[in-house]
This record gives sequence, C-alpha cells and structure tokens, in this order.
Amino acid sequence: MDQNRQGARASYVALSIFVALWILIPSAVRRFNREAFVEFQAPALLLLGKSRDMATFWEKKSRSVEEMAAAGRDLARINAALEIKINALEDIRRENVRLREITRYNVPAEYMSVVARVATRDSSSWWQRIVIRKGRNDGIRPGAPVVFGNTVVGRVTAVHLTTSEVDLVTSPGFRCTAYLEGDDQNRIVLVNGVASNSLGTAKARVSVIPHDYFMPAGQPARVFTTGMGGVFPSRLVLGYLDGGTYATQVGNFKESLLIPSRDLYNLQEVSVLVPLHQNPGEALMQGDQFQ
Amino acid sequence: MGWAWLILLLATYPWLLGADLASDTLASSSLVFFISGTCLIAPCRRLKRWQAILFAACLGFLFEARRPIPDGALALSLVAVSIFLSSNRQLLRNTPGMLWAAAIVNTGACLIWFVASSHVSPASAGDLVGHLLVQLLLAGVVGSVALVPIALTQNATLDRLSIPPAPDTP
Repeated sequence: MDQNRQGARASYVALSIFVALWILIPSAVRRFNREAFVEFQAPALLLLGKSRDMATFWEKKSRSVEEMAAAGRDLARINAALEIKINALEDIRRENVRLREITRYNVPAEYMSVVARVATRDSSSWWQRIVIRKGRNDGIRPGAPVVFGNTVVGRVTAVHLTTSEVDLVTSPGFRCTAYLEGDDQNRIVLVNGVASNSLGTAKARVSVIPHDYFMPAGQPARVFTTGMGGVFPSRLVLGYLDGGTYATQVGNFKESLLIPSRDLYNLQEVSVLVPLHQNPGEALMQGDQFQ
Repeated sequence: MGWAWLILLLATYPWLLGADLASDTLASSSLVFFISGTCLIAPCRRLKRWQAILFAACLGFLFEARRPIPDGALALSLVAVSIFLSSNRQLLRNTPGMLWAAAIVNTGACLIWFVASSHVSPASAGDLVGHLLVQLLLAGVVGSVALVPIALTQNATLDRLSIPPAPDTP
C-alpha cells in the first residue's frame, strides 16, 4: 500500500515537472504535437465524410425513374433561366473591363476557388466550426474566405494536410467590416461572432451602426462585405439584421444581431476563395491557429 | 504488454468518432457530446499506471486537436485524474462506483475545457453560466450512459490482449 502511495506521489511530482516544462517549451513543439493528433484523426474524418456521400448517392440511386425524370425537367428549366443570367453577366463583365481600361483601374487580387465537402461540424459556446475535406495539399491557406454562392460562410482558421478548419460567421473569433442595405452613404459597420449562450440559432453582432440609420421598411436589411482589408471580396452577403437596432450603453452608435442568410449547419459543400497572392493579414495568421 | 494502451486507444477511437458525429448533429444547439472522461474509467482499473497516463494524455490531445482549447489543458488534467484513479482502484471496484466516477470525471473534464477555452476566446464569459450548466448536465448524463458500452468494448480488447484484471495495488 505504501508503495502504491509512493508511486502516486512520484507520478504527481513528475506531472508537475512536466506541466512546468510544457509551459516553457517553445510553442513550435506544442503546435507539432497538435498537428500530429489532427493528422491522426484526419483519415477517419475523410472516411466519415465519404461514407456520408456514399449513403446520399445510394439513397438517390434508389429513387424511381419518374422522380429522376421530373428532377431532370426541373433542372433543365433552371439551366435555361441561368443561361439568360450568364449572358447578362457577360455583358456586364465586358462593360466592366472596358471601363477599367478607360480609367486604368488596378484589378483587385483575384481568388482561386476550391470547392470542398464538409466533413464534420462542431460548435460550442466558444467556437462554431466546420471541418472541410480540403487542406494544404489542395492549396488552401489560413485566412482564406469560405463562401457558398454569394454568401459568406466563414474563414479558414487552421489548415492541415488534407483537412481545414473553418470559423463560421457566428463564431466568436470571426470579425469583419460590412455595409448595410439601405445606407446610401455606405458607412462601415463591424460584424463579429457572439459566444452562444442558448440552445437557439447562433448569431453574430453588428455594431457601430450609425444613429441615423433606419432599416428599409418591409424587408430585413442585408449586410454586405466591404472588401476592405483584402480578406473578403466586396458585396458578399453576410446575413440579415435581426429585427430592430438598439442603442449601445454609451449611446453613440446602435447595435443589432445578424442572422446568417443560410443555415450554416446544413451545408454540404462550400467554396474556399484562396487569394492568388498572399496578403499581409494572411501572413500574420500563419502560425496562429487560434484566431 | 507495453503497447496495450495504444491498442486500447485505437479500440476506443470509434467511440470518440461517434461522439464527434453526435456533436455534429447537435451543432445547431452549440453543445458538444463529450465522452473523453468516461473513456478513461475502465482502462484505469486494469492498465498499469504509466499506461493509463499515456492513454489519458492521448485522449485529451485527441479532443483538443481540432478545437481552440489551450494546448494540454484537458490532456494534463486527464493525466492527473488517471494518476488518481489508478492509485485508488478500490473506488472503481463495482459498477455503481464506476458510474459515479464516469459522471464526475466526465463533468469535471468538461468544466476544464469549457473554462480553458474562455481564455483564448475574444468573447466574454459573462452570460454563459446557463449554457455551461446545460453542457455539464449533458456531459454528466452522457458520461454515465455511455460508460457501460465503452467499458465493455475496452474490457473485451484488454481480454484479447491477455491483460489480467488489475490488482488493488498497481
């Protein structure tokens, strides 16, 4: 029995020494350790995501021919409508190029779009994240914006070999600048995630709303990215203002909550917009896995 | 057998993956299906102390790896718990004792990661007491309910590895 107690005491002492060493060792060692455990889990996550896709595939394959024919007909109609839209956008693009040539406007940094499937979702009060099945091997870099259509989903926070972690718009670590629909002066507001404290839908906070801003009547005001800072392209939809705006404690500005325009926990696929040229913010993020 | 802890970790991993899947379905409610504390109970009865320590550290690091929790906060706490449990095996002699231990360890470990996460989060912890209580309640219930199937899997693995039931003194 005494031997057991002595052994336990020695273990506690060893643990205390290890804790002290753990705090003192360079952060690179801790990061390597974290990375090793992430990579250990990565194959299982990939397998999980792929088996989900397989289940969906077989579920769809089991549908009747009539159902498939109806779906094909609907798709053909949608395609026809989209073709008209594409032609209109092509006209606008040509006009845009012509105007840029006239004004010698510098083309903003272009993005490379990488489509990725969602492997798993994970959320708590302190984080709202998804893990996607694309990583460093596919050219994804930390800080890259993640979108679905023209809707912002979040931002890549950590990149591993075959997977990446994405902080959602509602995650406390997320922040960006935005414009409000109906504000003709295009004044900048701030959007940042809020620590979730209820079982309801996670939301973000829109702050620094000017006092004289009023939401357009009869429809929820949309919130767009500004394109400043070089992270998000401009005019992407972040979400909608939730109900009314309310004055802050100081009273100089108003605040409101932001509802993401898509159900972020039901996304199956997202696009990562990887900037072709590294921007300064991205360089700062490298090595900081928590932001 | 020196590698028993690693083989046991591989045998336990499907449960951790299952918990991640359950967290995935609970994602819209911001709750995490946490079972790392529960997975520690049965191995602490039979593994040697150093093996239980390595097993506990890996359990903690696996949970921390993809989440913004300060490095080692949970892993080192689980190591301390594993030292305590493997030094007081009489607490885990019967099933009610194990169930109590699972609920307490799982809830305690959940509290540790929740508090540790608040240190690296830019958000304030002011209004989160309610959510913390719900998360702890879930961890306690899940810890007790999941113990039996997890312990069965782990004991079957240890039996196949011919690890004898641990004596009262390690």
